Amino acid sequence: MQSESARMSSRAEARFRIQEPNSRARAIKVIALDTASEAIVSRLAARPWQSATFLSAAAFPGATRDFSGQPKDLTIEAGTADLVVMVASPGGEAHAASTIGEACSARRVMTTGLVVGANPASEEAVSKTLSQLRPWSLMLVIADPDDYIDDMLTALRA
Amino acid sequence: MLKKEHSDLLTQTGPGTPMGQMFRRYWIPALLAEELPENDCPPVRVKLLSERLLAFRDSQGRYGLIDEFCAHRGVSLWFGRNEDCGLRCSYHGWKYDVSGQCIDVPSEPEGSEFPRRIKLKNYPLIELGGILWTYMGPPEAQPPQPEWEFATVPQTHTISTKRLQECNWLQGLEGGIDSSHVSFLHRSDLNTDPLFRNAPGNQFNLSDLRPVFEVVESPGGLYIGARRNADNGNYYWRITQWVIPNFTMIPPRGDHSLHGHFWVPIDDDNCWTWSYEYHPTRPLTEEELTAVREGKGVHAKADPATYRPLANKDNDYLMDRAAQKAGKTFSGVYGFGMQDASLQESMGPIVDRTKENLVPTDNGIIMARYRLLIAVKALADKGVSPPGIDTTHQKVRSAAIILPPDQPFKEAAKDAFVARPAVAPVSV
Repeated sequence: MQSESARMSSRAEARFRIQEPNSRARAIKVIALDTASEAIVSRLAARPWQSATFLSAAAFPGATRDFSGQPKDLTIEAGTADLVVMVASPGGEAHAASTIGEACSARRVMTTGLVVGANPASEEAVSKTLSQLRPWSLMLVIADPDDYIDDMLTALRA
Repeated sequence: MLKKEHSDLLTQTGPGTPMGQMFRRYWIPALLAEELPENDCPPVRVKLLSERLLAFRDSQGRYGLIDEFCAHRGVSLWFGRNEDCGLRCSYHGWKYDVSGQCIDVPSEPEGSEFPRRIKLKNYPLIELGGILWTYMGPPEAQPPQPEWEFATVPQTHTISTKRLQECNWLQGLEGGIDSSHVSFLHRSDLNTDPLFRNAPGNQFNLSDLRPVFEVVESPGGLYIGARRNADNGNYYWRITQWVIPNFTMIPPRGDHSLHGHFWVPIDDDNCWTWSYEYHPTRPLTEEELTAVREGKGVHAKADPATYRPLANKDNDYLMDRAAQKAGKTFSGVYGFGMQDASLQESMGPIVDRTKENLVPTDNGIIMARYRLLIAVKALADKGVSPPGIDTTHQKVRSAAIILPPDQPFKEAAKDAFVARPAVAPVSV
């Protein structure tokens, strides 16, 4: 007789895995940090999601708003999330990152920084943005295609 | 025969199936307590009713029965570390408590709320009578803890074993209530097995090979009476208890311990055969305990790691044709337990009941199917709680009794059918 591990890792046994949900939806807030990334996040906001909300802090330190135009308190929004995704473009001014990062740090909220459109940008521009995001991001992703964020949010059950 | 749709209804016990829903209304044996012998011991894979689960015992002695797989990337938590009041996945360190609640995700900031959003399916797991029982049904319908006599007598009075049976649960059950096979399949062992021999009633079993059966409905299931001729024109009755859905108690012999079975579906092709041995009024003797551990009586010697019988289909059940020819065993297979299991497994994972040719002595089986079908449909269609959940249905005993020919056993032996503390079984 095969070992239990051998038997239980078979295709036949896979059908007995429990199918019930094993998680509740996370509150994921996706925040554009600059004008270029605002367009990407705006596109995302138009799609249906389970539990994601989309904001723009491109005008920081001016008002943060959602994509229906409603003003939002950046500190409160960041602090009440389970995960904050900060979206920036190379060379953009990601000034809001520190405010978001501090709010998340105080409330123990996971942060992810995402730099999109990195390929055509200069190394200097990418480095500048990374240096703004790095202190406040527990995970940092540099992606060329801007639709990577769609897949990332789907994978995170946003 | 049984219509295919009825056979399917009774043999399919996975999530969402009507019979599966019915099984999920009962406390069912999940593991032997010895499988989780101490706090923080290794976890144990458990498959029940076609669901893959993992049992563990935490640092405070609490039992947990949870989804086997980590919510993160779907790896088996069997590889996990059982420590500090939780089971930690070996892959990325996600940790779960006995309720399946995730309590730590190391990649998240310390104090993050994220783990609270992760919870694995879990079922309660309680220890009673050396067995860990689980209830897999809706929480609002959870019944009181089981009160089977074998599980509630002092620990010194009871012992249970389990063994893998490689066929559908219904084949096991139907063998358990099929009293007519005893005079053939088991006849060679009645006077030699340490858990059966020397009972005065055995002579009637062996001298009258054409028993007459009477099947009578009981509150929880059936009384299945087998009548044989005794001395002085009296009848020797052996009355088996079946309690819906999967409990049987075999009639006693002399002052031997009582015994019986549960058949618990693992999936539709396999089940656990649980066998209990107890005496209501005295501790089991060392001889009895040794006999159970050696696979005598209704038990079978099994691999201590897998609980698969040492005699199994891969070795032709250690068939001994010479012993069969010499009359030492009727079928050539040794031991009551494996004599039954070998034949039930030989029918295939799920026997085609449309091809059966039943006879009147199979009325115990026919009536059991009938009552199961009624109970399954009543639960599925009207939400009616099935028999056997009520703990009064569980406080039962089988009986062996000599009665005058004009006395119906149901009336004459009615006190014998009730489990009463400190009252000895009615036995011959």
